Amino acid sequence: MRGGLRGGRAAKAGLAIVVALVAFAALGPLIAPHDAFTSDFVRGASPLRMPIGPSRYFWFGADRVYRDEFARLAVGARLSLAIGVLSTAIATAIGAAVGIVAGWFAARDGGRASWSIVDVVLMRAVDVGLAFPFLLLVMAIGAALDRTTATTVILVLGATGWLGTARVVRAKTMQVRSLDFIVAARALGRSTPGILWRHVLPNVSGVLAIVATLSVAQMILAESVLGYLGVGIGPPAPTWGRMLYEGQDYYLAGPWLVAAPAAAIVIAVLGFHLLGEGLRNALDARD
Amino acid sequence: MRSTRAIERALMAVAVSLVGAFGCNGALESPFAAAHPDDDTPRRGGTLHLASFADIATLDPPIASDMFTSSVLRLVYAGLVDFDANGNVAPDLASRVDESDDGLAYRFMLREGVRFHDGAELTAGDVKRSIERALAPTTPSPTAGFYESIEGFEAYTKGEAPHLEGVVVEGRYLVTIRLHERDSAFLPALAMAALRVTCPSAGDTYSPSWAACGAGPFRVPPGGWERGRTLTLVRNESYFRAGLPYLDAVTWQLNVVHGEDFKFARGELDVVRDLTQPETVRYQADERWKPFGALEKMHGMQGESMNTEIPPFDNVEVRRAVASAIDRDHIVMLKSSNLTALTKPVPPDLPGYDPQLEGQRYDHAAALQHMKNAGYAFDPATGRGGWPAPIVYDVAKQSMQEVTAQSMQQDLAKIGLRVELRMSSLSTLYSITHRRGKSQMSPQGWQEDFPDPSDFLDPLFSSKAINEEDSTNYAFYRSAPVDDALARARRERDPKTRARLYESAERTICDDAPWAFEFAYRFFQVHQPYVRNLHVHPVWTTDVIEVWLDRDRDRLARAEAPLVRRLFASLRGAL
Repeated sequence: MRGGLRGGRAAKAGLAIVVALVAFAALGPLIAPHDAFTSDFVRGASPLRMPIGPSRYFWFGADRVYRDEFARLAVGARLSLAIGVLSTAIATAIGAAVGIVAGWFAARDGGRASWSIVDVVLMRAVDVGLAFPFLLLVMAIGAALDRTTATTVILVLGATGWLGTARVVRAKTMQVRSLDFIVAARALGRSTPGILWRHVLPNVSGVLAIVATLSVAQMILAESVLGYLGVGIGPPAPTWGRMLYEGQDYYLAGPWLVAAPAAAIVIAVLGFHLLGEGLRNALDARD
Repeated sequence: MRSTRAIERALMAVAVSLVGAFGCNGALESPFAAAHPDDDTPRRGGTLHLASFADIATLDPPIASDMFTSSVLRLVYAGLVDFDANGNVAPDLASRVDESDDGLAYRFMLREGVRFHDGAELTAGDVKRSIERALAPTTPSPTAGFYESIEGFEAYTKGEAPHLEGVVVEGRYLVTIRLHERDSAFLPALAMAALRVTCPSAGDTYSPSWAACGAGPFRVPPGGWERGRTLTLVRNESYFRAGLPYLDAVTWQLNVVHGEDFKFARGELDVVRDLTQPETVRYQADERWKPFGALEKMHGMQGESMNTEIPPFDNVEVRRAVASAIDRDHIVMLKSSNLTALTKPVPPDLPGYDPQLEGQRYDHAAALQHMKNAGYAFDPATGRGGWPAPIVYDVAKQSMQEVTAQSMQQDLAKIGLRVELRMSSLSTLYSITHRRGKSQMSPQGWQEDFPDPSDFLDPLFSSKAINEEDSTNYAFYRSAPVDDALARARRERDPKTRARLYESAERTICDDAPWAFEFAYRFFQVHQPYVRNLHVHPVWTTDVIEVWLDRDRDRLARAEAPLVRRLFASLRGAL
């Protein structure tokens, strides 16, 4: 895997972006000159009472409530990364479980196995889920929630984002289950759960890592969409999507209010995509 | 792999386009000159293009409750009286209005020969039918309470009488309305949309499927209202004021939340009034646009409504603490072009506004003292004390209040009140905050229906306005002195005595603090120079009856907004 990443400049760039993003999320709020939630009605406002632009005092300017845009962006990075990673963890866990079980019980070579009904049911459920556009589904659930918190966003994204993972893992499981060491384990009388846990899961973990990395990007984007449309985490939490929405009225008078969160979203999504691509190339090369 | 590359390229394109879009300074487009700027002779024809951030609620007069809807209905339906250009009540369908000496009866002599949009003649019988239809028990009219002084109102609205006793047809063109008690606000309330005269086809009872038909200067063509999208009105050729209106038609783009300025610059709109704060500031500061922009009167006010039946706001000292803790100057800064700090219920441009009355004011030390008096002392240095539980604050998603709430939230945190915002849609917010015991605290406002203090004070602070399901007294506030002062003021005919009574009610309300009053607001309206004779009306949001167009070029030939061109150019380049 390392060899693959070493060979791909894009993957290295992706890794660098992700590392920088994590560092920004960890250190940004600590080094920011102001609190992300406190308005400065004196220094944050221009004589026309517009938010002031980037300066020594406000590195990325002030937002429309005269708060430090840099500090908010950094806190937003924490939120985006936390939501992206945790919702991906949930989605990956569900997707892996469903995919492995479905793949294991899937009928072989077009034949019919007694337990293949498990695969049929699970995969048709996945098909139904995939028929809904992901963002539309997430938005509908987000809009239906009474009060949206970071936890609810993580749960919603996690509970709706596993479908693609399940499909990929199922295919890989079907490949793995025919390998000699699996046949041997079965011949030695190992239980099915034991085989799935000890032998199948480790062998699909590479695929899972790729899908999960790409999924983080998707989750960050989804959370931004929710925030932008007003169905994400409520104010004053500075999610990037919400910051984008709040800044759009100022696209000319205060372009930094749109440019900063937009750039953050673009960079974060790009970083995780490049990293995911790098992982895929590395694994392809290894296989 | 291919799809991932496409995503990466698309992301790059967005990034590049952002840089491209914001790399240049966006100057305002020049105004489009009138064809004959020195000639004030009105010309007939043309369509005026307008926009609104909301949709109208209805095309049926009794159901109207917001000022935008009422202003549109006023163009479709004529009333016995209307508000003139100075905001005074003036005859409309009536050629003469006589008030009896005791103030208990109004006699309206109707214009003869007035025709409805369907061609039928308008007579006194139609006036009585329309009023009875509007106030019938089966009509869901939110403003029926404004007319409770009409004789027989209670029996009729409860279904105990077949007709409204106080409305008497005395001749084909003569109708009298009798009141059971004097009501100084009756004529202004009559000028509102609710009791305007509807065609005979409307029948005696309200029906949601009835096609709008009145005797106003414009009519609604079939399919003229596409809910949530557009509304078109066309000229009523048989309007009783000869020669008017000048326009062939008026159209509104509805629910235009963003991009109104783009549409205005591209010539899709001729007038705008819902501009964002930065756009308003730019138009106000641009010398080329100054002659064509005007601030409207301050028709509305907003504040924080605290439910006096739910802790901690059942404690008057906590409410006083909130009223003292909110820095209104800070909130006003958030949309300084449209907001003015307000410390009492009645906005400044309303008749009866008392500049001497100080009302509530920002005083952080006093707020802390009020919290101590309430038994919830708070120490700002340690952050200890205060009300122990979070206060749930209901606010509409993506609204202006969502922004002002974040300033208020910081202010209240400094006195030990932790406010959590509960976001909901506008309709959900209405259903929560109008219902008893459902909402602890919420931003509320009131927009003028007619220019009189009673329009603000009665629905918001009278105990008569408390209802289980549909309360306009959002704070569920009861005060015997306030009820008494409001009732006496409504009956009072002497303006000075009336003003004193309202002042007394306002003082009590400010002290009891069911609301923390925050700001009065108004809109900034700007129009293209070829839109002639457009003036800001003191009551109606849109007054286009005497507006005419003086255009000399094809609107479709206008250049696209440069920002859009830049955006597309950079996107094309990147892809």
